[in-house]
Amino acid sequence: MFLQALAFPFTNPPERVAASHAYTRLARTLLTGMVLALSQLAPAAAQQSPAPTDEAGLYEAAKKEGKLVWYVGGPLDGMNAIAAEFEKEYPGVKVETMRLVGVQQYQRFMDETSAKKYLADVLQNTDYPSMLSLVDEGHIAEWRLPTSARIPEMYRIKDFAYAQYTSTNAIIYNEKKLTGEEIKLLETGWEAVLDPRFKGRFSVSPMKCGVCYAPVHMFLDPKLKDKYGAEFLKKLAEAKPASYSEVLVTIDRVIAGEQDFTLWGWEAAGAVKLKQGAPIRWLFPKPTPEYGNSWQGISKYAPHPNAARLFLNWTNNDKGAGAMERVYGSKSTLEGLTEQRPYVRESWYKQPVELYPVDQKRWDANYHKDMDLWASLLKQAQ
Amino acid sequence: MSASYFPGDGVTAETPPLSGVAAAAKTGLPRLLRALAWLALAAAVIVIALIPLGYAVDAQFYRESRVGLSADRSLEAARNVYLGTEYWGYLLSALILAGLVTLLSLAVGVLLAFLVGRTDLRAKSFWDMAITLPLYLSPFTGLMAWIALGSAKTGFVNGVYTGMLGVFTNEPRALINIWSYGGVVFVMFLFFCPFVYLFTVGSLRAMNGTLEEAARTSGASPLQTIFRITLPICSPSILAAGLLVFVLAAETYTIPGIIGSTAGFTVLPWKIFEDSVAAPVHRAHAAAGGTMLLFVTVAGVWLQRRLTRVAERFVTVGGKGSQTPPLRLGRWKPAALALILAYVLAADVLPFGALLISSLMKFSSGVLNADIFTTRHYATFFGTQNMLVALWNTVFLALLAGVACVLMGFVISLSELRRPNTATKLLAFLSVLPVAVPGLVYGIGLVWTWLQTPLYGTVWILLIAYVAKFLPYGVVVSRTGLLQMHPELEESARVHGAGPIRTMAAITMPILKPTLMAILFFVMLMSIKELSASVLLYTQDSQVLSVLTWHYMDAGDYQFAAAIGIVQTLIMIGLVVIVRALFGVRLESAFSR
Repeated sequence: MFLQALAFPFTNPPERVAASHAYTRLARTLLTGMVLALSQLAPAAAQQSPAPTDEAGLYEAAKKEGKLVWYVGGPLDGMNAIAAEFEKEYPGVKVETMRLVGVQQYQRFMDETSAKKYLADVLQNTDYPSMLSLVDEGHIAEWRLPTSARIPEMYRIKDFAYAQYTSTNAIIYNEKKLTGEEIKLLETGWEAVLDPRFKGRFSVSPMKCGVCYAPVHMFLDPKLKDKYGAEFLKKLAEAKPASYSEVLVTIDRVIAGEQDFTLWGWEAAGAVKLKQGAPIRWLFPKPTPEYGNSWQGISKYAPHPNAARLFLNWTNNDKGAGAMERVYGSKSTLEGLTEQRPYVRESWYKQPVELYPVDQKRWDANYHKDMDLWASLLKQAQ
Repeated sequence: MSASYFPGDGVTAETPPLSGVAAAAKTGLPRLLRALAWLALAAAVIVIALIPLGYAVDAQFYRESRVGLSADRSLEAARNVYLGTEYWGYLLSALILAGLVTLLSLAVGVLLAFLVGRTDLRAKSFWDMAITLPLYLSPFTGLMAWIALGSAKTGFVNGVYTGMLGVFTNEPRALINIWSYGGVVFVMFLFFCPFVYLFTVGSLRAMNGTLEEAARTSGASPLQTIFRITLPICSPSILAAGLLVFVLAAETYTIPGIIGSTAGFTVLPWKIFEDSVAAPVHRAHAAAGGTMLLFVTVAGVWLQRRLTRVAERFVTVGGKGSQTPPLRLGRWKPAALALILAYVLAADVLPFGALLISSLMKFSSGVLNADIFTTRHYATFFGTQNMLVALWNTVFLALLAGVACVLMGFVISLSELRRPNTATKLLAFLSVLPVAVPGLVYGIGLVWTWLQTPLYGTVWILLIAYVAKFLPYGVVVSRTGLLQMHPELEESARVHGAGPIRTMAAITMPILKPTLMAILFFVMLMSIKELSASVLLYTQDSQVLSVLTWHYMDAGDYQFAAAIGIVQTLIMIGLVVIVRALFGVRLESAFSR
């Protein structure tokens, strides 16, 4: 690669393309090395910054920086609403959102970092392995939140990244399409979906995403093999669900009345649509998969580090987490937070009875394989 | 010079290179300066189009990690893609789908163009506008509209149909189901058909009718005349349109992807999309899949050039004007009108109506009542700074990309056809290659090319991406226009002492003004709708409307996305109206060659 890169200006056009790639890769490698080397010196800068608990000091420093850039993985509307709440709380510090989902965000951030284009301050990624990789590779700054002790360990990656909220799987249904008896039946457990009365009335998705995988992950849990297992997935596929490539389309089709309910729903998605007035409700069959979502950390190369720290503190304190619950509707991971999700006061709403915590190791190991199995079962049944 | 079909006519003759007299004529600029200008253009094409393409192709030769590409070289992805059956199956699906869409679009598009361009139907300007209106919608936005219209249980069309049928039966029945293979073909056909119309209606109008008259005088029936004279003469335009639609259809991932999962099929572009964005990503596989599509397009371009080699001989725009009386439809007029109306209903009235209604709804619904409507989406759009910045960026980029593609495309084609040699032919061929690679794969190449320059993070990188992606259309369309223009006028100017630049500015460009305007319109529209490269290259300071639409769709806020889609459409119409007022050329007649 090195020789190829050196030869770049002198090679013939077809070779030049390949050589320039090598040249860029070499430059990237060197730059990454330099960045990593320089980043070891970074703590000196960090020491000059106000302490995590010094909110006034952080705010003053953040005001001088003027803004922060927040790479978000969640829906733009909801994240903009959260950003607006922060701007109200801290006038003079603007939040610029940039939506990049999952692995795309990781790739973009890594490309930018290797080119020394430091644009992002705070990263919010819905893909846990991507955030874990960023932490392991040293791209996320260590920052212990003042509220760190109130965030369960399963929702933290040491003192680097924190899950902002949890995602709880739910059956989202059109309130005009299910009877009270049918709702009660579905609440008893996932296997109720196989009741012949529901055949052809619900939707699923083979899409690869966290909320799509969570139920598959649970159904394929070796401990629940007798109850579910691959056989259960096969029966689900044979119940002739409508399969949509995009998980949000499954919910949209329920809202429109095209399908009666979707198995591939989660509470926050339902909350957003309910807020818009959509005729939907949701229920939690037993057991209910729940996992930490929207992992947030501060870029080690943040161009506005104090604004980033102030923002991360705020999103994980009572005010910020409360605002998130209010305007976005997801359940915060912050323990001891006064419940602020508006829909939980509705008469139809029932909290999940039995939560199923995902096994992160098995999740990472089997995600692709399990989802491929589910997609192939769906295809076979079509 | 070879013999003409009608010596002395000057209308139908072989297209010669510039004659010795013309070549010897005095030039306006020194040869060296012209050579340098051409070299600068070639360098620009290489930098903006070929290097990213090289990166995109090269990406397949790396080992994949869970979140991208590792630094190690590997042939694993290329082996999996090329030696396995999976990706070939996806490619076959894409080609079959693109073939069906192209055939349907050609059949209907050419027929519509013939009816409007060559017959005595009235209100031609109105039909021109109505038939080309779907160009102002992105296929994906159109799909959203057709999901609202054609879903089996809740589609507006099926609702009306069931209501009408309810008089006779109580059983709900679906007239159409968009969530099917036929639904995909139908929606794609609706939105690609206008390309065929645009590319052919101008040729049909500009065509000299003496050959048709001669055929009729010699006893040929109207149908014989159409199939043996009219269509062959228009074959460069028809082939260009067919190739364009085929390539666009073959690389479309949104419509077949979203419907395909429900209808039970997968096409290569969707697989590439999944490989590019869904964890664990398979970027090398995506690049290899993208290269497969590149081969298809190279084959398509080669085929088009080979087929038009014969057609090049048929020059229909010469130094003399012509006027041909329109074909009388007689008793076929009601049937012709019914066909046009059916297309306009399906492609304009229903989807635009559905999109407008959707943009005013709080959420998706098959039942319309007063409670469901809101103007909130538009209020939010025009009240948000980011949206307005995105709007400005979109307009700015569309205009600049349009102008750049017109100038570059024209000069590349002109140099290829008027000064044919290995270098000019190669440049013309290379400049059309980026069209073949799916935007997602090509976008990765663009990122790698420009990331380390100051352009990254600005709107200029989007401009480069748009020029790279749409320059092929500038080259192909201007080439088609030049092919149908006899060089006698240029020769005449050169004989009278004009240099090449002056000849180009005073003769070639004014004659080709409609063609150049066609490229400008087309690139503007395509730039406004472009998503796949934009989504990889935008930053918070360089947002564009197509990316915002995607984000809202991706987040399930289809009504807000519909509102942005409506704004996008209005911008496109606004730009076209402005350009039309400035240059006096209508979009519908711009593709006249």
